[in-house]
Amino acid sequence: MTGHRVVITGAGVVDGHATGVVSRLLDESEARRLSRVCRMTVAAGRLALTEAGLDTDRGLALLVGTEFGDMVSTIAFVDGFLQRGTPGLSALLFPHTVMNTMAATTAIAVSARDLSLTLNAPTVAGELAIARAAAAVRAGRVGACLAGGADEPPPLVVATLREAGAGAEVRGEGAGFVVLESLDAARARGARILGEIVGVAWRALAARPHGIGRSPRSRAIAAALDEAGASSAEIGCVYTSASGDDRREVWEGALIDSALAPHRPARRSLSLPAGRHSGVAARAVATAASEAGERLALVHAVARGGSQVAIVVAGPSRVAGSRTRKGLASAEALRA
Amino acid sequence: MRPVAVTGLGVVSPFGAGVKAFWEGISGGVCAVRPVTLIDTEGFRCRIAAEVPDGIGGSARRSRADRLALAAAREALDDAGVARAERAEAALIVGAVGGGMLEAEAWYWQRARGVPAPLPAALASSFPSSHADVVGSVLGLGGPRETVVTACSSGAASLALAADLVADGVVPLALAGGVDALTRICFMGFNTLKLLDPTPCRPFDRDRRGMSIGEGAAFVVLEDAERARARGARVYAELAGYGMTSDAFHVTSPHPEGEGMARAMRAALRQAGVAAASVGYANAHGTATPQNDRIEARALREVFGEGRLLVSSTKSMIGHTMAAAGTLEAVATVLALVNEVIPPTARLETPDPEIPFDCVPRVAREAAVEFAISNSFGFGGQNVTLLFGRAA
Repeated sequence: MTGHRVVITGAGVVDGHATGVVSRLLDESEARRLSRVCRMTVAAGRLALTEAGLDTDRGLALLVGTEFGDMVSTIAFVDGFLQRGTPGLSALLFPHTVMNTMAATTAIAVSARDLSLTLNAPTVAGELAIARAAAAVRAGRVGACLAGGADEPPPLVVATLREAGAGAEVRGEGAGFVVLESLDAARARGARILGEIVGVAWRALAARPHGIGRSPRSRAIAAALDEAGASSAEIGCVYTSASGDDRREVWEGALIDSALAPHRPARRSLSLPAGRHSGVAARAVATAASEAGERLALVHAVARGGSQVAIVVAGPSRVAGSRTRKGLASAEALRA
Repeated sequence: MRPVAVTGLGVVSPFGAGVKAFWEGISGGVCAVRPVTLIDTEGFRCRIAAEVPDGIGGSARRSRADRLALAAAREALDDAGVARAERAEAALIVGAVGGGMLEAEAWYWQRARGVPAPLPAALASSFPSSHADVVGSVLGLGGPRETVVTACSSGAASLALAADLVADGVVPLALAGGVDALTRICFMGFNTLKLLDPTPCRPFDRDRRGMSIGEGAAFVVLEDAERARARGARVYAELAGYGMTSDAFHVTSPHPEGEGMARAMRAALRQAGVAAASVGYANAHGTATPQNDRIEARALREVFGEGRLLVSSTKSMIGHTMAAAGTLEAVATVLALVNEVIPPTARLETPDPEIPFDCVPRVAREAAVEFAISNSFGFGGQNVTLLFGRAA
């Protein structure tokens, strides 16, 4: 592993079923102007940054993974035209038809003025955004980064994708972020260290679009372990992307088996029963850090079509001299 | 960090398929904006766009955008001479916005009007990530795969992200580019915002009235420069640096002082270790909206000073191709360095006195420059500057 050590200093998740508390995290104008998915994204970002205690004036990058973008607003924009012709088109809705709308509104809300990226991928977008962000911090390209994802899947789109043969995922809605920064920067400002991302990799496995690959040979897990300088024996728990698509889950199981053999650490998915959305990745990474103990945890995701992401996470006890905390900042916690 | 070389180019543009047709069109100052044929434009103020002509090829089961992307990606890989076996480790980064929405819209329109509409095969490919999955699967690219959406700067962002992977030694080479086909949503949206000129656009003209929409795809092969030379590859140029910034200001309007734009340009110069005075040409974002051209010029002046820099807008010939724009314009910039010819700003009759640069009106200019930048800016204040240097 070369470059900066990448630590987690904040995490925040807003699930769709807990959006009652979102209004407490937004100002009046945001609550009025922003679409539902943008509200969830801004709220989750603020939760994570609040926990990190980060001063964004020193620079902040933002990486948002999403599968659906703001498709609800896109459909509303189109319906306006189909129902009323050109007078039905809304200039306010149009910007939301571009998938970077959650990143744009969140960048404004939290003053993220370094690079701001939206990554689109089916079912692995959140993990991809966190992996990309970790690589950017490790290389010193950004000092601190808010990384995660958000989704609000419209029922029509989910049903249509299923009918078109694009999987049977149980999808939920929500947003989630982790704050990543270099260990040196985090220590310099006295931040509480929640964990460390010690290795990331993302690769494309051979598969047809929307299809399941035939080979159980993983490529990303070995590369992430290599970056971490760790062996498969050190992995104590795997957080998978299982979310109700049986064929994809079988494939994911085979990929993990082949990469970690002969070891078979415990596996969990945080996607069910509420459903998978791109913010779940942040919950998985934060939970993995919280529960890794003295071992390492692997956050893994694979999508139909072949995108595979592996993130190797260490708990705070492995980051010498860290202040630690238990649990994950969430809308539920805030409500409590 | 390893130096990053550009070793392959591929384009599908409103001038047709191929880099050659693209360069002939833009260096000739030809405007490809015509009446729209792909979608119904009845009732809209602007009814023109720069469409890719017939003959792209590819399976009709794929979306138009996927076919544009495949054709351009194939040309770039072939141009670089990348063998099938080498592709297994290659990264693929695609900038996209509209995805396969053209076909999804047609289905949704029919369905909404009560016409029985069976699901078309292309419907599952309606999201931007479809292009990467199709291109990667068909062309056997097994390295990191990403789809980046930064609105109108997506195509440029794809090159920046790919350059990171090559420079960090994650992969030896990467295929990166942008694609967008014309969609009803895009056409209706920009009409609604009143940002479209009913006549072909005139960037930097005092009388400009807005942009023209276009479509297309472009890909480049980025490669570890040392590896490229070792295998005897043709090196078009070096991607010497980039800057990516966020205005964090407004969802559609750029920062009025061009602050984020200027930061992106400075970041590119800093990463490349190149002085502003060494840059001879800027392929501008140049959309031809009254506000954007003025603000971009302000940012250029802030970074490079008045006058010396040659500035032109490729959008004056192929319209604003959305997610493809950043890559098409990067290719234009690379070819300007290689051919020592600066493509013009077509239809520029009366230069805007508020834009203190030689914007190369109507006719291409012979000029050998060492370094050139390509600017791309998008909704949400997403600024990307790519800085290219002549091949050593």
